[in-house]
Amino acid sequence: MDKQQLELQLLLDAIYALSGYDFREYNRSSILRRIEHRIRLEQLPTITRLTAEIIHNEPLLHTVLNDFSINVTEMFRDPLFFRTLRTDVLPKLAHLERIRIWHAGCATGEEAYSMAILLKEQGLLERATIYATDMNEQVLLRAKEGAFSLQKMQGYTKNYLLAGGEEAFSDYYKTENNRAIFNQELREAITFAQHNLVTDQSFQEFDMILCRNVLIYFSVPLQHKVQKLFYESLARGGYLGLGDKETIQFTPIARHYHAIDVAERIYQKS
Amino acid sequence: MMRKRIGIRWKITSGYVFLIACLLVAGVFLNTQINDIKVQRDEIISYDTKMRTMSNRLERHVLAMESSLHRYLITSESRYLEAYYENAGAWETTYYELGGFVQTYSTRQENLDYIYRDIEEWIATIAQPLEQAIRANNREEMIEAFNGEQSSEAISDLQLQFTEFRNVETEAIANKIVELDAKNERLTISLFFALGFIAILAVLIFNTISRRVVTSITDVTEALHNIEASNGKGRKRLVATTNDEMKDLVDATNALLTTMENRQWLQQNLADVLLEYQGIEEVSELGQTLLKSLTTRTRSVYGTFYMQDAKDATKYVKLATFAEARHDIGRTHFHIGEGLIGQSVLEGRALSYENRENGLRFIETALGDIQVANGLIVPIMFEKQVVAVMEIAAIQNYTAQHRALINEVVERVGVTINSIQTRLEITRLLTASQLQTEELQAQSEELQTQSEELQMQTEELTAINEQLEERTKDAEQKTRELQVIQVELEQSAEQLRQSSNYKSEFLANMSHELRTPLNSILILSEMLAENADNRLEDEELEYATIIHKSGEDLLALINDILDLSKVEAGKMDVWFSETDLRELPQHLESMFTPVAQQKNLQFHVNITKNVATPFHTDVKRFQQICNNLISNALKFTEEGSVRVKITAPPVTEQMQEISEQWIALSVTDTGIGVEEQKQELIFESFQQVDGATMRKYGGTGLGLSICREFTKLLGGWITLQSEVGVGSTFTVYIPSLPQGLQRIVEAPIPRTPKVLPVERVYTNEVFNGKTILLVDDDSRNIFALKQALEQKGATIIEAGNGVEALEKLEQHTETDIILMDIMMPEMDGYEATRYIRQQLQLDLPIIALTAKAMKQDREKAIAVGASDYVTKPLNLEQLFSVLTVWLAKKEHHYG
Repeated sequence: MDKQQLELQLLLDAIYALSGYDFREYNRSSILRRIEHRIRLEQLPTITRLTAEIIHNEPLLHTVLNDFSINVTEMFRDPLFFRTLRTDVLPKLAHLERIRIWHAGCATGEEAYSMAILLKEQGLLERATIYATDMNEQVLLRAKEGAFSLQKMQGYTKNYLLAGGEEAFSDYYKTENNRAIFNQELREAITFAQHNLVTDQSFQEFDMILCRNVLIYFSVPLQHKVQKLFYESLARGGYLGLGDKETIQFTPIARHYHAIDVAERIYQKS
Repeated sequence: MMRKRIGIRWKITSGYVFLIACLLVAGVFLNTQINDIKVQRDEIISYDTKMRTMSNRLERHVLAMESSLHRYLITSESRYLEAYYENAGAWETTYYELGGFVQTYSTRQENLDYIYRDIEEWIATIAQPLEQAIRANNREEMIEAFNGEQSSEAISDLQLQFTEFRNVETEAIANKIVELDAKNERLTISLFFALGFIAILAVLIFNTISRRVVTSITDVTEALHNIEASNGKGRKRLVATTNDEMKDLVDATNALLTTMENRQWLQQNLADVLLEYQGIEEVSELGQTLLKSLTTRTRSVYGTFYMQDAKDATKYVKLATFAEARHDIGRTHFHIGEGLIGQSVLEGRALSYENRENGLRFIETALGDIQVANGLIVPIMFEKQVVAVMEIAAIQNYTAQHRALINEVVERVGVTINSIQTRLEITRLLTASQLQTEELQAQSEELQTQSEELQMQTEELTAINEQLEERTKDAEQKTRELQVIQVELEQSAEQLRQSSNYKSEFLANMSHELRTPLNSILILSEMLAENADNRLEDEELEYATIIHKSGEDLLALINDILDLSKVEAGKMDVWFSETDLRELPQHLESMFTPVAQQKNLQFHVNITKNVATPFHTDVKRFQQICNNLISNALKFTEEGSVRVKITAPPVTEQMQEISEQWIALSVTDTGIGVEEQKQELIFESFQQVDGATMRKYGGTGLGLSICREFTKLLGGWITLQSEVGVGSTFTVYIPSLPQGLQRIVEAPIPRTPKVLPVERVYTNEVFNGKTILLVDDDSRNIFALKQALEQKGATIIEAGNGVEALEKLEQHTETDIILMDIMMPEMDGYEATRYIRQQLQLDLPIIALTAKAMKQDREKAIAVGASDYVTKPLNLEQLFSVLTVWLAKKEHHYG
């Protein structure tokens, strides 16, 4: 192990010991980039110095934890994915008495709200429960607000239309203090909760699990572990939606799924 | 059961031969008959001819004799006589000839005999006498002898007899011919019979033969159908019912079936084996499967599978085994050319070996050890490279079929191994590329995050800047005001300071002035109280004591006030000097133990060893602090203890700036305690917890204020931890200051770090100064919207249709956003939007106003280039929201 890796390992051990957040199985190169970014900002010479700093400086620890949590997301991200959900997947869930959807790694919740809108337009919202989880409680607080910046709303409108939106996007929000706040009905349909994919277990059986652009930060063994968690949490015939760069191919669990739409990474548990 | 072989050919041939024989017999018979008839006929004809010729000749002889005699008589020429003799000599010969000839038909003999007799008679009667006459040359006799009439008669008679004879003969011949004809007829009839019989016989024979042939063919066909129907299940064989070519056919067919079955076995097993290793993704699993399927099919008991090493191409490593009793059996690896198996790899061909006398190896089974008889080493090739090699061994010999199966399988396995390896490689590459893709995605998201963070920071900075600018403006304004105020303030502060100084000075002076008369009161009252002369009544004595006590209290109060006012007036002098704190406990104990004992309280003073010595501070003030705190503690404690602890506290960075050495003096009591809200308050002058306390415990309430001020003067601070009813701990932190105090230290506030989110300043005036183009043909709509939007501060441009909208847009290039109705005269919303996007190439937001129900309208609006739509009837709040969104500054786009 070269020294940098050792330093990194020690830092991650320290972070785990201090915060309970386990990044040791994350994709090292990604973690390393975030750390290096932080070190530059903090003007520290080595990773070990950062380790020392976070031990004594709690705010810095939280800053570093925040660095690790990448919260890139948008509403109807990859609109075709949501279009496929709308046309091919949700109709198949319509017969269920209750539709349970888990959005793992929801970040600031944009995709969870997108899902709520989809369900609303399919007339399924009353029967659906969306569990949106993230390990980062701060982003969850923001997600619960259901308020997004105006600048982004233009792009979201385009995505909504591309994803086959059936109403006016503005039906779902109103602006206030330079933010667009989504309707209470949508906010109430989503249960935001803290859940760490690395350390926490499955908490229910779901009809659909969305986990998009989360696995890319994980090492391969961790990806497999999380895939297994999803598999165990899915009802028979349940759907799994991944990010457009992610796949269940090459994972041990792959043969237990069949693809609904390979391009959009939507799979169904066999 | 060997039966005598009778072939179909033989059967048919014999049939034919029999028929031909029949025909031949019939032919020969007929031929004989015909020949017979022909002979008879010829006989008859020749007889007839001969008979006529002969009889004619005989007749001619007779006639010639007569005529010769006649002619001789007439001519006497000897030549006629000679002719006579000639004929006389010949007729008998002819006659016998004819007689011998005619004899066959004996019935005619008598006629011939008559003729002979007549001739004899004629000779005897006529010719001989004449002859004699001639010889005697007696002419008369001659003439006499030649009696013309008699001779003519005889001759005519003779001629008649000849004719008779010939007629009879002819008749007999005619009868014979009739007889022959009848015979011929019978022959014809028998011929037809014979032909008919042969025909029937032929039919029968061929029927029999064909039936036998067809029956066996049918049997074979049926058997073949059965075999076909059985679909190769079971080893059914044909049975030949006859020992002929059909048996050959059956044998050949059976042989073919066997071959076919063998081939089928081969193909079936091959297919099964191939199927078994279908979808295998690991070479070792393939090896295991291969061994298992091949060994079970070839009745092998032992098998190993070696694979070419990925790194060392000359090395082959054991990957799989079958039926191994122990795992260490079989070499773990070998190199090319090593041993028989290495040789096989080297040569690239299969090698087999048989059990020599001592045997190859024993296979352990539950029943014991079995000796292996035969072994096969088969290299598995791909593109002329030995990629793997397999060795199997069996107890019995390998059949050709086994070998064929092994060969067939091995031929295909090479490709499979290669494809597995290729697939593994592809999977590896794909996985790698997938990881890279994910990595890229992660990086891009990270960058986006960083970029967003930067963006956010920039925005924050901008917001802060804007805020600052505004504030600067305000501040400039205020600064001027402030400057005025400041001057005023400075003046008043100066006045205050002066007045405060005046106050302090006044107090100091006052105290001083007060002390002088008080001194006299104290001295005098003390003297009085001593009651040296015993002149005072008890009551008076008590008064004097009270006066003295009150005087002392008053003095203490005045001293306190004096101290405090001195501190506040900055007139307190502090003298830092070297001191040994280890003496302090003793001093304190001697001072306070009596008081404590009086109140039945425990009193302890401890000092830890690590307290710095010597310690530089103002001893007098420090003692004053100690005294104040301890007497305070004793005062407010009813029962329990008062403990004093002098320690060296941990020195923080901040403390270090002042001094390296510190002491902490803590006074802990078990007294009434102080409520949390009042803990700050009690350090203020003239403050006690409440009036009641004051009344109960007395005191001026200045002690703690003085303590605090003094500790400040000594460069330290004082803290309080207290709980009501439990007790209080006052701790004084004092530095060792050899150089004296440079500046007053503020008590450090434990810093609670909190992230203060920068409050973004939103102007909340999205519409302010914005230009909105309203395109609607309904003037009431326009009016209503205009009112609402203008109220928000927007500038409204109106247009009644698309054409107008384009005109207005050209005039007002500052237009920020367009609200576009769809259904309009002249040029509708779609066309106008399309024109703006395509011809004018403008990308300002266009919000289409569509009917609620018309989904197609909305889709069409988006298709022609509208940014968004709202549905009519318009909800003002929604409209404002949409406009707010689309008027917002455009988002920065990231990579």
